[in-house]
Amino acid sequence: MGLPNASGDLSTEVEVDAFRRLFPLRFFEKHLLESIRPDARPLGRARDTTIALGAVASANGSALAKIGSTTMLAAIKMEVMAPSMETPDEGCIAIDFHMPPICSPIVRPGRPAEAAPVVAKQLSDTILSSGMINLKELSLVSGKAAWMAYLDIYCLDADGALFDAALLAAVAAFSHLEIPVVSLNDDGKIVLSEEQGLSEREPVNKEKRKVNLGSIPFSLTCILHKNYILTDPTAEEESIMETSVTVVLDSSSQLVSLYKPGGAVLAYTSAIQDCIALTRQRVKELQKILEEAISGMEVD
Amino acid sequence: MEFVSPEGLRLDGRRPLEMRQLRAEIGTVAKANGSAVLEMGNTKVIAAVYGPREVQNRSQIINDQALVRCEYSMANFSTGDRMRKPKGDRRSTEISLVIRQTMEACILTHLMPRSQIDIFVQVLQADGGTRSACINAATLALADAGIPMRDIVTSCSAGYLNSTPLLDLNYIEDSAGGPDVTVGILPKLDKVTLLQMDAKLPVDIFENVMGLAIEGCKAVVNYIREDHQFKH
Repeated sequence: MGLPNASGDLSTEVEVDAFRRLFPLRFFEKHLLESIRPDARPLGRARDTTIALGAVASANGSALAKIGSTTMLAAIKMEVMAPSMETPDEGCIAIDFHMPPICSPIVRPGRPAEAAPVVAKQLSDTILSSGMINLKELSLVSGKAAWMAYLDIYCLDADGALFDAALLAAVAAFSHLEIPVVSLNDDGKIVLSEEQGLSEREPVNKEKRKVNLGSIPFSLTCILHKNYILTDPTAEEESIMETSVTVVLDSSSQLVSLYKPGGAVLAYTSAIQDCIALTRQRVKELQKILEEAISGMEVD
Repeated sequence: MEFVSPEGLRLDGRRPLEMRQLRAEIGTVAKANGSAVLEMGNTKVIAAVYGPREVQNRSQIINDQALVRCEYSMANFSTGDRMRKPKGDRRSTEISLVIRQTMEACILTHLMPRSQIDIFVQVLQADGGTRSACINAATLALADAGIPMRDIVTSCSAGYLNSTPLLDLNYIEDSAGGPDVTVGILPKLDKVTLLQMDAKLPVDIFENVMGLAIEGCKAVVNYIREDHQFKH
């Protein structure tokens, strides 16, 4: 780690790790001057991202997404329910985000992390408004039965960029989702069909099918600090420089959502546009990674 | 219902004295001081240890030893039907207590006074034997965190169905209504730290089943010792 040797500066007398803990902002700024970050990434590069589909065998669709050390496990379970009066032809999606105490030293049992409900709401809004899933596809019998998809996302390791990783895991889980086969039994209730040969009843949907996904949303979180824009922050960077901007674009590069929840740095439009440009690049990378993961599964 | 076929095979094709496949990996949660993922067949749990660190609740400081806390929780999607209340329900609270007391028995708490050690266990997939899997994962996580222990703790369960003692029950066998014996041992000291059983069982058969569970615990110990990543 080459710290510039400024005379009269405390940095020459203190060890690197101590300096990092005592003066975190100055530690980072020394790196930013050289256009690099402590983990040797250039300012505009995101961490290594991987997706593994089918991580949870007992769920209808699941995925494990990792961005750097941040790990998210998403699983979807489908249940049959009666649709509401106003929308008899539509199913429903319930999205829940959990941060169990294993993910981070600052999460205490009995007191949920501050970030958890915020990310949960953001995810819910983004996924439902992006039009990725057409709720009419989740209908079974109009007015009587429809699918309720419960999407649960667990953070297994929280190292910054929680929303990005959670959205990626959610999207991957939906692309892995297979809707189970059901049929009507004699009481007029929907039951899961076990095997094709056994049931004399007519199945309501013919075969296990995948959900048709519309435009898929991908996101990138950037941190603004003075004139610098750092993409894909780690937890340490997020705690020191608090102003973050999250941009969500879909696969056709349309803006789905923009989120800048206050923060000390006031951004000019040009900074926001830079963030959007960085997101556009990131969307291409993520699309490629997702497609590789899906085609990897299909080979099996 | 037949749990052991006339040829001597169980529902998942195992023999009565055969354990499920064991797989473990340590250091999986980067942020934790120690962590481990452990799979026993289809049961998959992740354990993370934070500590020794400063006690968060001042009123709970113990002056001559470390405070050990444990929380057990199940993911919503871990069981066949989606769970409504994954923690705070009675079963989770009971298991949290059991794991805490089991691990407290083996941690040398007097070496770390006025500090706190947190053990968090999350069940990702539940297919019977979650208690044992959690204890085994917690042991590995504590070892990964470098926390001084008298000995490791390993655990395994055994049952008795169709007049046959069965080792390492899965969910279907566990919910069959037969007895379920869970044992936790300290292998080097050859002592039993955890012993739980429900349902009725004649004493001589119980000794048999408990002996079988202890054999299962020793098999876990062998796995831990032989896997090269755990050797220091």
